[in-house]
Amino acid sequence: MLSWSSDHDGDTVDLTSIGSGDGLVGEHAEVLWRFASACGERNDDELAAARQAVIDAVDEAFMVDAAAVAANFEMMTRLADSTGSRLNPAHHEHVAPAAGALGVAEAVSRR
Amino acid sequence: MAVDVRDDLREAQREAWQHIASPGSWWTGAQRVRIAEVARAAIGDDDPLPPWVGLSGSERYDDDGLVPTPAIDVAYRIARHAGTMTESVYETVSADIGELPYVELCTVVSMVAAVVAFHRNAGLEVPPFPDAVAGDPTEEQPDELASAGLNWVPVAAPADQMAAVVQAYTAVPAGLEMTWRLGAAQYIPNEEMVHPDWMRRPDGLTRPETELIATRVAQLRECFY
Repeated sequence: MLSWSSDHDGDTVDLTSIGSGDGLVGEHAEVLWRFASACGERNDDELAAARQAVIDAVDEAFMVDAAAVAANFEMMTRLADSTGSRLNPAHHEHVAPAAGALGVAEAVSRR
Repeated sequence: MAVDVRDDLREAQREAWQHIASPGSWWTGAQRVRIAEVARAAIGDDDPLPPWVGLSGSERYDDDGLVPTPAIDVAYRIARHAGTMTESVYETVSADIGELPYVELCTVVSMVAAVVAFHRNAGLEVPPFPDAVAGDPTEEQPDELASAGLNWVPVAAPADQMAAVVQAYTAVPAGLEMTWRLGAAQYIPNEEMVHPDWMRRPDGLTRPETELIATRVAQLRECFY
């Protein structure tokens, strides 16, 4: 979805940047990547700093929307992994490069 | 920290909490709240059990028989180590508790994960679960169930006509509906999913910004899907 939406937007994303945070494109990409990373990790001090950085860069409502998106994917990853959700085999060829770039090609959750 | 949460998001999460505390299709409200409490504790556990260790066999859980221990153990595992779930774990647990109760348990755990995460992410206190609502499970299920090629769990027939994550909860209609209502408030309304230019409001997150966040969280959870 990231590749699709960023291609449409004219700012094609290098998916390897999602792991490192280097080479992100977009006005708010760096601050959002930092916040999303902090949401997914367990360092409360970093989360507070990353949250404030989003507010400072845009505003509180933007931070709330970002917090909600991150929360949604805490839900969706559990939905996918608890129900054994698999990609349609017809899409594997298309998805394989993205999975490799994101470093999840060998994840236990690959089915 | 006072944070102004938009009304639709606040209401969807309030509804999710009330939904959890109400009788489900296969679990009572009290059982669902217990499963939710286990999930919440697992998510916040500073010293988590490894995926292969059941919570019910540890000193951390006082089993009073309200919820079968295989359900307690798998709720903890999905909440904290979802990426380690395997088909054999699913088959073992569902043989003990039933396939549809398993799916319903997943709906509860995944909704808890969302609401707990949102509050932590935004710097807010997680609200307590409501008191459990008395009543028997509804035993609601689709007219016809089918084995899926794209999921371990059974789904509403016909199977595999939609993406795996979309059909995953169709065997438990009430859980499915609440999950997608949350998703619409937290992420994107389902009908807008195909629109790469969709924004919740002017000057809000663009679609690529939304997907950047989604992708990063999914990557950190080691979720291949």
